[in-house]
Amino acid sequence: MTNHWVDLRNADVILVMGSNPASNHPIAMKWIMKAKEDRGARLVVVDPRVTQTATKADLYAPLRSGTDIAFLGGMIKYIIDNDLFFRDYVVNYTNASFLVNPDFRLPGELEGIFSGYDEKTRKYNKKSWSFQTNADGILKKDPSLKDPNSVFQLLKKQYQRYNMDLVSDICGTPKDKLEEVYKIVGSTGKPDKVATECYAMGWTQHTVGVQNIRAMCMIQLLLGNMGMAGGGINAMRGEANVQGSTDYGLLFHILPGYNATPTASLVDLKAYNEKYTPKTREPKSVNWWGNRPKYFASYLKAIFGDKAAKSNDFGYSWLPKVDDGANLSWLNLFDQMFKGKFEGFFAWGQNPACSGANSNKTRMAMSKLKWMVNVNLYDNETGSFWRGPGMKTKEIQTEVFMLPCASSIEKEGSISNSGRLAQWRYKAIEPVGDSLPDGEIINELYFRVKAMYEKVGGKFPDPILNLSWDYGKAGHDGGIGHIDVRKIAQEINGYYLADVFDKTGKQIGKKGDLVTNFVSLQDDGTTSSGNWLYCGSFTMKDGKPFNKMMNRGKEDATGLGLYPNWAWCWPLNRRIIYNRASVDPQGRPWDPKRAILKWNPEKINPATQKPGAWEGDIPDGPAAPLALTDGKLPFIMKADGVGSIFGPGLTDGPFPEHYEPLECPIQENPFQSKHRINPTVKMFFGKEGDLKEDEFVSGDTRYPIVCSTYRVTEHWQTGLMTRHVPWLLEAAPQMFVEMSLELAKEKGIRNGEKVTVSSVRGKLWAVAIVTDRFKPFRVMSRTVHEVGIPWHYGWQFPVDGSGGDSANILTPTVGDPNTMIPESKAFMVNVEKARR
Amino acid sequence: MKLNDNAMIRKEGPFAIINHWALAGSCILLTVTGFAFLYRIEIIGTIFGGFTAMKHIHNWMGVVFTISLLLSIPIWFKECSAYDKDDVAWIKVAGGYLSHKVTIPPMHKLNTGQKLAYLGVLGMGGGIIASGFVIWLFPGSQTLMLAAHMIHNLCFIGIAIFIPVHVYLGAVANPGTMRIMIYGTVPVWWARKKSPKWIQEVEEGRSHH
Amino acid sequence: MSRRRGGKIMERKALLISPELCIGCKACQVACKSWNLLPATKTKNNGTYENPPDLNGYNYNKIRYSEIPSDKNPVRWLFVSQRCMHCEEAGCMKICSTPGALYRTKDGAVATNPEKCIGCHLCLAGCPFNIPRYGKDDKLSKCTMCADRMEHGMIPICAKTCPTGAIIFGARHELIAKAKKAGYAKVYGENDLGGLGAIFAFKDAPKIYGYEDKPSINEMIILWHKYLKPLSWIGIGGVVLGSALHYFAVGPHKAEPPKDSEEVKDEAK
Repeated sequence: MTNHWVDLRNADVILVMGSNPASNHPIAMKWIMKAKEDRGARLVVVDPRVTQTATKADLYAPLRSGTDIAFLGGMIKYIIDNDLFFRDYVVNYTNASFLVNPDFRLPGELEGIFSGYDEKTRKYNKKSWSFQTNADGILKKDPSLKDPNSVFQLLKKQYQRYNMDLVSDICGTPKDKLEEVYKIVGSTGKPDKVATECYAMGWTQHTVGVQNIRAMCMIQLLLGNMGMAGGGINAMRGEANVQGSTDYGLLFHILPGYNATPTASLVDLKAYNEKYTPKTREPKSVNWWGNRPKYFASYLKAIFGDKAAKSNDFGYSWLPKVDDGANLSWLNLFDQMFKGKFEGFFAWGQNPACSGANSNKTRMAMSKLKWMVNVNLYDNETGSFWRGPGMKTKEIQTEVFMLPCASSIEKEGSISNSGRLAQWRYKAIEPVGDSLPDGEIINELYFRVKAMYEKVGGKFPDPILNLSWDYGKAGHDGGIGHIDVRKIAQEINGYYLADVFDKTGKQIGKKGDLVTNFVSLQDDGTTSSGNWLYCGSFTMKDGKPFNKMMNRGKEDATGLGLYPNWAWCWPLNRRIIYNRASVDPQGRPWDPKRAILKWNPEKINPATQKPGAWEGDIPDGPAAPLALTDGKLPFIMKADGVGSIFGPGLTDGPFPEHYEPLECPIQENPFQSKHRINPTVKMFFGKEGDLKEDEFVSGDTRYPIVCSTYRVTEHWQTGLMTRHVPWLLEAAPQMFVEMSLELAKEKGIRNGEKVTVSSVRGKLWAVAIVTDRFKPFRVMSRTVHEVGIPWHYGWQFPVDGSGGDSANILTPTVGDPNTMIPESKAFMVNVEKARR
Repeated sequence: MKLNDNAMIRKEGPFAIINHWALAGSCILLTVTGFAFLYRIEIIGTIFGGFTAMKHIHNWMGVVFTISLLLSIPIWFKECSAYDKDDVAWIKVAGGYLSHKVTIPPMHKLNTGQKLAYLGVLGMGGGIIASGFVIWLFPGSQTLMLAAHMIHNLCFIGIAIFIPVHVYLGAVANPGTMRIMIYGTVPVWWARKKSPKWIQEVEEGRSHH
Repeated sequence: MSRRRGGKIMERKALLISPELCIGCKACQVACKSWNLLPATKTKNNGTYENPPDLNGYNYNKIRYSEIPSDKNPVRWLFVSQRCMHCEEAGCMKICSTPGALYRTKDGAVATNPEKCIGCHLCLAGCPFNIPRYGKDDKLSKCTMCADRMEHGMIPICAKTCPTGAIIFGARHELIAKAKKAGYAKVYGENDLGGLGAIFAFKDAPKIYGYEDKPSINEMIILWHKYLKPLSWIGIGGVVLGSALHYFAVGPHKAEPPKDSEEVKDEAK
């Protein structure tokens, strides 16, 4: 989230699209309801069905799954055509005024693709997606936004095609509802009106997932809602600590702190820093990622300790590298596993047999393994994959080990919520039986592997042997018996490894102390920090280490729900990021009634000892407002210092363009006939030798119904944990499929009876919930039905199979080209009465 | 043939006597415990060892009452359903209970009041038994429960009123009656006075005693 | 508003339930089971999100999900809490057969004591809202407004858990005032049955939410408790008195043996 949970109550308009907070983030509804009750905020819900959130909406508009870009593109057109955008904000704080390379072409001109597309590689050469610069390399801009090559005019041209008639036809949303939504959201383009958007998997799990979110970011920038209280773009994470998991680099392409995983061709630290440290000529841009070398060096010092030195590139050569061009994301990993490329697999705190797209392929893939380690609270469909339905148990050679692990209440540590807030949690009870916290398991594993390397050697033992690992009292065997989570938290914050001085010679850190914040981090090996984002979470107070994540202060000076003394959020406990965009170039709040920041020209700045300081939330960068001397642009993490309306960094285009899902109910993209789907998506099926398991269909009369997957309040993820809680299973006992009365009538299906839902990849049974909350869509002059299923069930528990099995049995092997997140939200199925 | 006035004649057999006391005993227990339930009387509950124990006693005494009442039918029903104009006359003089000066019409083995009383017990007993079993065995339906509860209570009132009257009439107001339910026999002269038509029948050989 | 009860003046507390704020998340259902350590029951999906299908001895409250026509959306999905209403004039308490099985807490709630309850099931017949259900040992098992928590100064667990304030707890008169201030012209249960302890803020007619317009205890129970019960005392007392009166006024029917009788030989003995 750019903002945070409590901030939702500051909004005038709350757009819920691509999510369902009432069902899946009920505490978020507390704040949404407060916004409605206390300030008369309007809740607008756009969803394929009437969800629990929609029951509280001031306006509900239906939308066919997979057509969000058409919907949002129409909104951009409406905002521009009706002059609803916040001009001052757009001109000053976004790249709307930047001039784009005149060779750049839009999909409207090239039948569905941007300039630079290579059909063979399915990739873009982004040369034409560049900005024009003058001789000094400074970006060319037109603040009047009139230049035909300006981002703004290109934006206008791009969405000219997204007229309401066509959008209504594509999305299945009645035109009047469309206009109402646009009007309400568009009304927040005024400086004193703000809208927030809440999204979740409904936007991310598509082959155009990232572009869905991009579209809304662009709208929020056009309306001047970024960096404002009650505004922003707010991802509601699907798991209590997934924010933490991405912060700490649990994805293949990043290291802790969102530093990129080095690729093989980046042979040394210099090459790495060269590639990943953005440069800018923009005089007013802070370009905070320019500090990358400091964070990266500090990270290497944290993990390799004293072994990391300037002479060995701080141990850079010991970091695992990814082969150039390799994408080691989930879909590819399980594809490789299916093809027998893996010997072993740690299924650590996950249930791939139910959570990965295309369960049949995933489960079969696991049967090719030599061994598997299932680290979890319970046995599950993954650990027991070998005895699952359809498995030839006797032929499977996989050895499965179960390591029972502790739940979150049986151990101490922090979790980071969607609002980047890291809250420290305490141990309530001892772990059950022999189960251990994950940290203890990893700890023991590490020392055993290390001992083996020391004893028998290996191909490249250095990365393991050189790790610094002193997170507890060392035992006589050299290993650590029990890890001290607080020591790890301190390592993450980081230490001054020597006395550190700033450019003026003033001492900013004493050797051995915890680092104050990431501004103090150095690239010369004198500081360490396991994750620069969390630098400042565990610092010195009165000479002793102090864990700010344990804070529970309820003071709220601004009255905007910032609660700065409640726990600690990154970065630097700044609750709303890009908050320097909430003031005008003079530093005056756009909206004085909800001012999170304000520049006080009289107040003495404690850092400079000169007049002129910020008041309110932690400013996003200490620099003065834009128009003042030494003033800087607010979007400090962007190289150019501004929000991107034109976004050339993505794989599939600088502007979102509507493409249909891989499996969709219509034959052609309504915009043009050449590119039905996202042209940069990896195709797992279609060539000779491709796996039958990856088959997909579209416009196929055998599977004419759109299907989406979603969640219920009672269960969580694959239901691995919640199906074992009797009260939760009682409240939501079985797999179900929601469908419209019209579809049920067509199929002769009665409410409450078991039906079969099938895709070209598999089938499952579900109890039919026949409801008016789903209504057929009118799409391109045809009736299109949609159904929806939860993904919380699995064959392994309840053991009598009464719960049902995973929704992912039906989902396709395809993902977003930027993130590879599977397209679980829109695919094609059929629904029939269950045969006896 | 004429009976000796000073001899004893058997009015009721041992089976009838046992049946009466089974009915009476269970009825007393049922009434007392039922009273405790209806008026939530703590002390009675304590005497019976708690309300839960009392519930079991009430239910199983109900079974005893039911069986006894059923078994009483072959004993008394025939007798108590036969009425003639003497019975009408008896009612008109209120059985002689309001004044010693009236003439009581000749009665059979049981007088009108006794016969009507038995039918009353049968009716109210039947009602209270049926409703009692509904409360015990069919607790699920609100409607059934309400109706059963009402019938049970109304029958209770009837029976609760009956008991003191029956005890008074049987043990106090009609000296010589009590022994019928202990020994089963009464002096012939006494029977000749109270149940002349019965003695006449016996002497004429139309019935045995 | 304070009332006198057994000599002690106390403030009546209540739960205010607002279906318009309810998102049907079932946190209240699960919190209640968690606090009261109630076992789960086996259920199946009956074509709805609603589960369990009815209150039972192990589910003291539940949400009823209903879909009714709407003028602005395809359908209006209502989430309405069902639970003991803690009536001032409690039908269950009137009909209960056992002292102490049901009792009134100092906050005005109707609480249960399973140790005293004998499981006669009469309370179900007495309740206008069809709430009593029977759990462990077939004894009455229902919402007690968390009497045990209240005793220790804590609020009912459902109110504590509800994320949107659809269930809130407080002084009854304050809750009523709050609901009226929020725009609800009438508060369901303000005066019915002497005033309910679980009051509802309904936007529309109670029937839409599945509640009777004018809830009342079944007339048969009123008939019995108000009229017949007192009459029965009179009846029973009357006949006892009457018998005594008769004995002294009229006297027993003495039957005198014939003058020439001897000591009777009882052949039957």
